[in-house]
Amino acid sequence: MSNKNVKVKEYIIKSAADFFAPIGLILGIYIILHGHLSPGGGFQGGVIVASAAVLIYLGYGYETATNTLKPNLLKKSEAIGALMYSFFALLGIFYAANFCRNVFYNVGNPGDLFSSGTIFLMNFAVGYKVLTGVGFLILLMFGLLANKEA
Amino acid sequence: MTQHLPILAIITLFIGAFIVALIKEKNEVLRNTVVLIATFMSFIFTLMMYKPIIGEGNIITYWMGNWEPVQNWAIGIGLEVDQLSLFFGLFISLSIVLSALYSFKYIEKETGKDKYYVLFLMMSASVMGFIFTGDLFNMYVMIEIMTFASVALTAFRNNKPEAVEAGFKYIAIGSIGSSLILLATVIIYAQFHTLNLAQIAGELHNNYTITTLFALALMVVGYAVKVFAVPTHFVAPDAYMTAPSSISMLFSGIVNKAAVYGILRVLYVVYQSMNLPSVQFMLIFWGTVTMFIGVTMALAQHDFKRLLAFHSISQIGYVITGIGLATALGITGGLYHALNHTLFKGLLFLCAGAVYYATGTTDLDKLGGLAKRMPQTALIFIIGAFSISGIPPFNGFVSKWIIYQASYEAGYAPVTIIALIVSVMTLASFIKVAQSAFFGQLPKEFKNVEEVPLSMRVPMWIMAILCIVGGIFPSSFTKYLITPAANAVMNSAKYVEVMMGPEFASKFYNNLGNAPVIDYKLAGYWQPIAWLILFGILLLAFTLVALLGGFNPKHFSYSDEEDAKYDVFYSGESAEFSHVGGSDLFWGLKYQFRHYFDLMHKIHNGVVNDYALSVVLTAAVVLLYVFTFVR
Repeated sequence: MSNKNVKVKEYIIKSAADFFAPIGLILGIYIILHGHLSPGGGFQGGVIVASAAVLIYLGYGYETATNTLKPNLLKKSEAIGALMYSFFALLGIFYAANFCRNVFYNVGNPGDLFSSGTIFLMNFAVGYKVLTGVGFLILLMFGLLANKEA
Repeated sequence: MTQHLPILAIITLFIGAFIVALIKEKNEVLRNTVVLIATFMSFIFTLMMYKPIIGEGNIITYWMGNWEPVQNWAIGIGLEVDQLSLFFGLFISLSIVLSALYSFKYIEKETGKDKYYVLFLMMSASVMGFIFTGDLFNMYVMIEIMTFASVALTAFRNNKPEAVEAGFKYIAIGSIGSSLILLATVIIYAQFHTLNLAQIAGELHNNYTITTLFALALMVVGYAVKVFAVPTHFVAPDAYMTAPSSISMLFSGIVNKAAVYGILRVLYVVYQSMNLPSVQFMLIFWGTVTMFIGVTMALAQHDFKRLLAFHSISQIGYVITGIGLATALGITGGLYHALNHTLFKGLLFLCAGAVYYATGTTDLDKLGGLAKRMPQTALIFIIGAFSISGIPPFNGFVSKWIIYQASYEAGYAPVTIIALIVSVMTLASFIKVAQSAFFGQLPKEFKNVEEVPLSMRVPMWIMAILCIVGGIFPSSFTKYLITPAANAVMNSAKYVEVMMGPEFASKFYNNLGNAPVIDYKLAGYWQPIAWLILFGILLLAFTLVALLGGFNPKHFSYSDEEDAKYDVFYSGESAEFSHVGGSDLFWGLKYQFRHYFDLMHKIHNGVVNDYALSVVLTAAVVLLYVFTFVR
C-alpha cells in the first residue's frame, strides 16, 4: 500500500496487518466455500473474514477501516445475506419438499466444490451474513472507542 | 399447502424484517407497506390453519428439510402446531397486525423508524416461531431473539435517560432468565440426547430423576422471569413505561403470552407434571402473590403506563393461577384470561399511547379532562377499564368468573377471595386513571389537543369490539377456541403420538387414542340478557339521580379544611382548579396501609443488582421446593 494519504502509526503492526489480513480473508472465504465438504462452515468462515476488519483497524486506524469497509454497505449486505438464506431455504417449498430442504443435490460429483445443491448456497448466504454482520459490529465497537479517544 | 402454513407464518415476518432493513429511512410509504403486508400475511397464514387444526382436530407437524425421525429418534428440527399453539398464534398474530397499524402514525415523528420496524418484525417473528416450534433449543433461540429485540425496543426513545436505564435493566434480568432456560435445555439434552419436545415428553413420562427435576425448576424460573411473575417483575414497569405504546402492547400481548405458553408447554405437555399437587400449589401460590402485589403496586402509581404495567403483572397472576389449578375449568379460565388480557391490556396501552400522542405526557398528575377533547379514546378506555376490572358484559368478567369458580371448586377458597379483592382494587385504580386523565378539569395547556388520527383509532376499536364480543358470546368463544386448546393441554399423549409416530408413543403411554376430553359445561353462570337488564336499570337509576340533582355538590356538607389536598373529592367546584391528581384519590387507603406501601417502596428500589439477586433467590427457592416436594 503506497498510498500517501494513509496515515501510518506503527510500522510493525502495519506490516503484520498487511501480511495477515489477506491470509485471514483467503482462509475465511475458503472455509465458507468448503462448508459442505470440510469442517467449519458459513459462521466460522464469516467470523474469520470479519477478523480482517480488526487487522485493518489495528494497522491503519479507524478512519481508514471505515473508509475501506463502509459500515452502511455492510449493514445492507447483512440484510441481503439473510434474504438470500430465506430464498434458498424457501426453494425447498417451491420444489415440493419442506422448508430448508436441500434441492438440486444430484448436480456435480460428490467432493467437488459445486456438488451439493442449495446447501452450498445456503452456507454461502450464512457466511456472507456473518462476515458482514460481525464486521459491522466490530466497526461499531471501534467507533465507540474512537469517539472516546477523540 | 396446509403443512407449510406454520413455517410461512414465521418466515414472512422474518423476510419482512430483512426487507425493511434494506429500505432507506426516508422511504416511509414503501416501508409501511412492507410491514403491513408481512404482518397481515402472517395473520392470514395463521388463520388458514384454523380449519385443519381446530375445525378438524388435526395436528400439523413439519420437519425442516424433510429430516424425519429415524428409528424413533428425532434428528431434525420439527415444527408442531397443535390446538394450544394455534390458539396462542391466532391472537398473537392479530395483535401484531393491530400494533403495526397503530405504529404508522404513532411513531411518525420519531427518528430511527427503520430500526424500529426491523426490531418490531424480528420480535413478532420470534414469538410466532416460539409458539409453533416443536424443538426445545429452537424455543431457547426464539426467546433469546425476542428478549434482545424487546430490550432494543425498550430503549427506542434513547433521548430519554430512563429509556436507556430500563433497557439496561431489562437486558440484565432478561439474560439471567434466558441463561436459566439455556441451562435447563442443556441438562435435558445431556439426559435424553434429543431436543424434540415430543420425544422428550415420551421419555419423561412417569420417569423423573433428580436431574430432570433440576431442569424443570430452572425452566420454570426462566419462563417466570419472561412472564414477569412477582419476585422477578421489577423490570417490567420500567420497560413497559419507556417503550413506545405500540411496543408495550406487544410486551403484554405477545412477549408475556409467549412465556405463558412456555410454562404451559413445559409443565403440561413435556413434563406432564400438573397432576402433582405440589406443582399445582406452586403455580397457584405464585399466581396469587403475583396478582395481589401487582395490583397494590398499581394503586400507588402516578404514571399511566407504569400503572398499566403493574396491572399487566397482576392479570398474568390470574392466568398463572388458572393454569395452575389443572382442572378443565381452571385451564379454560386461564387460557380465556390470557386471550382477554391481550385484548384489553393492548387496548389500554393503545389508549395510553393515544394520550401520549395527543398531549406528550402520560403523567396522571398533569393530565385531566381529556374526554372533552378525545371522546372516542375516552370511550375506548372505559371499555378497556371495565373489561380488565371484570365488569359484565365485558370479556374480563367471563374469564375472571371462570377462574373464581374453578379455584373455589378446586378447594382454594382463599385464592377466590384474593382474586375478588384484586378485581375490586383493579376497578378502583382504573377509576383513578379515568378520573385523573379523562375527567375532571382540562388543564390549560391541553385546551387544543385533538383526537388521534383514524389509523390509530381503528386498531383500538377492533380490540374494543372484540372485548365486548368476548363478553357477550363466551360460550361460542370457549367452544371454538378455548376448549380445543384446553383439550390439547391435557392430552400430552396425542402430541407425542402425532410427532413421533404411534410406535414410539405406545412405548410410554398405555391409553393412546382415548384421552380424556374435557366435558365442560358453562354451569349457568352467564346470562347476558339478565345482566344487561340490570345494567340498564342501574344506568337509569343513575341518570334519574343525576337529573334530580343528587350529585350536585351543594347537597353534601363538607367542612373547609385547611389542607385541601385531603378533602374528599367532589366534582364541580367552580372556585378553583381542584383536579385530583393521580396520587390522592385513594389517599385514605394508602394511609391505612402505609407500612405495606413503605415496604413495597423499599423493595422496588431501582437497583439492578438487587433485582438480579431476587431472580437468583427465586431460582434457589424454586429449586429447593421442587427438590423437596415434587416426586
